[in-house]
Amino acid sequence: MRRETTTLLQIENLAKDFGKLRAVDDLSLGLEEGEIRGLIGPNGSGKTTLINLISGVYKPTSGGVYFFGKRIDRLPPEKITQEGIMRTFQVARLFGDMTVFDNMLIPAFTQGMGKRQASHRAKQLLDFSLLGRLSNEPARNLSGGQGMLLQIVRGFMRQPLRLYLLDEPFAGVHPVIKDVMIGTIQKMNRDEGVTFLIVSHELTTIRRLCSRISVLHAGQLISEGTMKEVANDPRVIDSYLGG
Amino acid sequence: MENLSETKISKLKRGSLILAGSLFVCLLPFWTDQYYMQVFTIAFYYVVLASSWNLIAGYTGQFSLAHHAFAAIGGYTSALLVTRSGFPVWMGMFAALLSSTLMGFILGVLCLRMRAIYLAIATWAFAESVRIFISMTYKLTRGDLGLAVPKVFLGTGRAVACYYLFLGLATVTVLLLLLLMNHSKMGYYLRAIRDDEMVARVMGIHTTRWKIFSFIISSGIAGVAGAFYGHYNGLLTPVMVDFNEMALIVIMVVIGGIRSIPGPVIGAIFIEILTETFREFGEIRMVVFALAVIAIARLYHEGAIGIVRQFAQRISRRKQGREGATE
Repeated sequence: MRRETTTLLQIENLAKDFGKLRAVDDLSLGLEEGEIRGLIGPNGSGKTTLINLISGVYKPTSGGVYFFGKRIDRLPPEKITQEGIMRTFQVARLFGDMTVFDNMLIPAFTQGMGKRQASHRAKQLLDFSLLGRLSNEPARNLSGGQGMLLQIVRGFMRQPLRLYLLDEPFAGVHPVIKDVMIGTIQKMNRDEGVTFLIVSHELTTIRRLCSRISVLHAGQLISEGTMKEVANDPRVIDSYLGG
Repeated sequence: MENLSETKISKLKRGSLILAGSLFVCLLPFWTDQYYMQVFTIAFYYVVLASSWNLIAGYTGQFSLAHHAFAAIGGYTSALLVTRSGFPVWMGMFAALLSSTLMGFILGVLCLRMRAIYLAIATWAFAESVRIFISMTYKLTRGDLGLAVPKVFLGTGRAVACYYLFLGLATVTVLLLLLLMNHSKMGYYLRAIRDDEMVARVMGIHTTRWKIFSFIISSGIAGVAGAFYGHYNGLLTPVMVDFNEMALIVIMVVIGGIRSIPGPVIGAIFIEILTETFREFGEIRMVVFALAVIAIARLYHEGAIGIVRQFAQRISRRKQGREGATE
């Protein structure tokens, strides 16, 4: 039985220039509600730039980003977050002087959640992701992997979270923490219907998590489909996987 | 359980220290002379300025150099309304609050999108403009000759009354900042902005709005402090907007401990007492303070409060180690 799908995110002819360098080049891409999409490509192919464009950190040179049909590429990052889009960064960017628990409260507060409700959800999420025992620890004391995990879990504080953009979440992370991350992503996708766009070089993990994969090269979308389909695409083999 | 009781004990210890400190400042007028009461009164004025500047510089990273100008705006607003228009002093002080918050809002909207050095330059230029304006509008402000301001409290008990008035103002300011920073969403937002502004935005915080809001609160507090100062001192001159005044506020915050509530309190009292004690050395005091700021910024940026905390932690660790050894 086919599941009814709705287009959550539509990117149309998006381009981004940095001086003479075109980082994203006439890129069009669609994301269905409830899917976990992988975004792969060689270094410098425009994956992080695309995440920055969707989350409002960069403004596009041309083209548009539509979220449930509403144009969002002219909105500032805080307004895009209000639409239900969260993101992580390649290197865990936490509020280092604040405790792990306080880090969790921020996205809840910005959507008007009360302290009691926010604390309850924060505790649940931290316990599930095995960070509960570190709740009162200043975030700067966490290891790289723990920091990355907290960065991901912190985003789940937003309710409803419709789209989560994860930028290299598994890079350099201990396998145990990676398993917790994967479990958390799958649970939030299953239980709360969160859609994910995951940038990663870890093809094994991407294969495990994602039903569809988009491949970027030189700022352009060169292939899209299941892992099997893209792995057999000559353009992908040529530019990314190697022949 | 052990950890819980340890936390309770450390809270008790901290509470006892705060209580002892509060008792000390409350009872000080009973065993000190009038001169030192005045020194403390001025120190409390600087506690208000330093603490409110710390709100923007320490908690949002906005290095404004116009804080003394807001004190002057408040001071002159109240003084002019009371002397020229016959307003009661309390109404003058309320007007001081309004004028300084309004100016804070305007300057905030204009400047708070600027980054570090540009913000510092723009706010410094604003403060200089205020100083020059006060000097030039002789007919209104009496310029460098100074504006005589009706004093609050008169008679023999004036020094004691003013001491408690400024102590009250400083206490209210510190309590307000404690409430804002530790028990409100605003405190979370400002700390998040200080740590990483872009991530704060991505988390949904309207950073510019909160920075302007904290700037307005900070300017308003400075304005009220300036009004109190004017009605205490009885004379206002453009010296109030001299850059040395701003430098003194920065020195107090950095030496006491930026990004903490007790830091500026300790810094302001300590520096004011030192300033008065070594008055005979003149401007050389500022050079010594500046060197101390450089040393702290280079070696120990948590300031005096950080040193005290580290010292207390070391004692507690040594004590725990000794107890462990006896067990």
